[in-house]
Amino acid sequence: MTEDKFEEFLKRAAQSYNAPPARTPREDMWSAIQAERAAGPRVVYGGGSPVRESSVRRFTPKIWLGAAAAAVLLLATGVGVGRWSASPSTSRSVAAVNPPTSGSAPASSGATPTIVAPDARGNVAVAPPVDRGTGATSPGTSPASGPNQRSGLRNGGGPQSVATNGTGPRASNTDLPNNSNSASAYQLTAVRHLSEAEALLTSFRTRSDTDQQMDAQLGKWARELLSNTRLLLDSPIANDPQRRPLLEDLELVLVQIVQLSPGSTPQDREMIEKTLQHDHVMTRLRTAIPAGSQRGS
Amino acid sequence: MELVAYESRSSVNDTQLITRVVAGDAAAERELYETYVDRIYRLAFRLAGEDELARDFTQATFIRAFEKIGSFRGDSSLSTWLHSIGVSVALNGLRKTKRQRSREAPMEEGLTVGSTRREAEPDLKERMARAIDSLADKYRAVFVMHDVEGYTHEEISGTLNIPVGTSKSHLFQARSKLRVALADFAPEWVS
Repeated sequence: MTEDKFEEFLKRAAQSYNAPPARTPREDMWSAIQAERAAGPRVVYGGGSPVRESSVRRFTPKIWLGAAAAAVLLLATGVGVGRWSASPSTSRSVAAVNPPTSGSAPASSGATPTIVAPDARGNVAVAPPVDRGTGATSPGTSPASGPNQRSGLRNGGGPQSVATNGTGPRASNTDLPNNSNSASAYQLTAVRHLSEAEALLTSFRTRSDTDQQMDAQLGKWARELLSNTRLLLDSPIANDPQRRPLLEDLELVLVQIVQLSPGSTPQDREMIEKTLQHDHVMTRLRTAIPAGSQRGS
Repeated sequence: MELVAYESRSSVNDTQLITRVVAGDAAAERELYETYVDRIYRLAFRLAGEDELARDFTQATFIRAFEKIGSFRGDSSLSTWLHSIGVSVALNGLRKTKRQRSREAPMEEGLTVGSTRREAEPDLKERMARAIDSLADKYRAVFVMHDVEGYTHEEISGTLNIPVGTSKSHLFQARSKLRVALADFAPEWVS
């Protein structure tokens, strides 16, 4: 069969394809069109639920207005949070960052930047780390210390951060010479703290169930981390919506570890393990610790 | 073909009609509708294969046309412009309907939009319908418009907004696929 004949055959046979009725339902469709236009044109075709285009058009400017309002609100909130967290007028502001040699921090014997308890005016101190080359961290020696601490703050013996009055008005630039240093100190402190917490929890998970002495050492270590965790919860670090729940969960786990007595049963430890697993504490800790940062273990 | 006859309407008449429609003349709207509804409906039915869908598409085409006619610049004829809207509405609507139906009845394999079951029909017609349904939209539209409804490549080009050469290429592709699909009826075609 030739090409022309095939085309003829195809055209002839295809005439039956979806053959329309002889009579077009003109009036029905015209009535429907009039009704549709009276109610507002549709934008959805083909048997679907009709949507009135007029309502879509009316909504479009609202979408833009809403988006713009949301963007402005988000921006304002971001600026507000940033200013608030950097503001010295908040009670959680940094009071001083001193080298650990100041002796004000009980857990500051290592290179880890250390938070100390607020003073009478509500100031919280963050001490920068000093690399003392103390070697590997051991739960039994100095839980707060870490080996080979790396920090831009560690080498200078002088103050690298800020001193503000938690009850006073907003500090002037001379009172708060370097906000970025303050934020960096907090950030560094938080990372170090979380690294240590990770080290502690890893040690907890890998210890022997029968090692009572290890339990005691872990309890002591956890106690020190617990106090720092609570201080961090009261610091601007806790403003971070992801970090705060992590610190709260960490606090809970640390409390459980602290409460482990030498005679605690495997069920007690299992409960801690379940808490760790249920809240994905380890995963979140590792996520919160930037890659390449010094781990406290 | 009919469309050619309508294309021959003087542009003056089209322009007057459009002007009256834009001015809100209800009689002009009805006149425009009466002039083109048959061909729009026929084409919609050919593409949809169902009266309900064809009505939906036709109605949507005119509703959209009445809304947009103020922006009609006259680059093409009013007929081509209307058909362009009609095909666009139909193909978009069919895609949407196909998605809806595949979600609603995922187990009903073989159900394709644009096809109606004709169990009593001869095997050739059934196979032909299935083969055409299985064509890609761009091939099916060109094939239906050219080989079934008799549009010229120039008209198809204007309606689908594709070059004439592309229209011819699509038709060639469609015929080739149908030739293979219908090879049982005449194996010599395949060679």
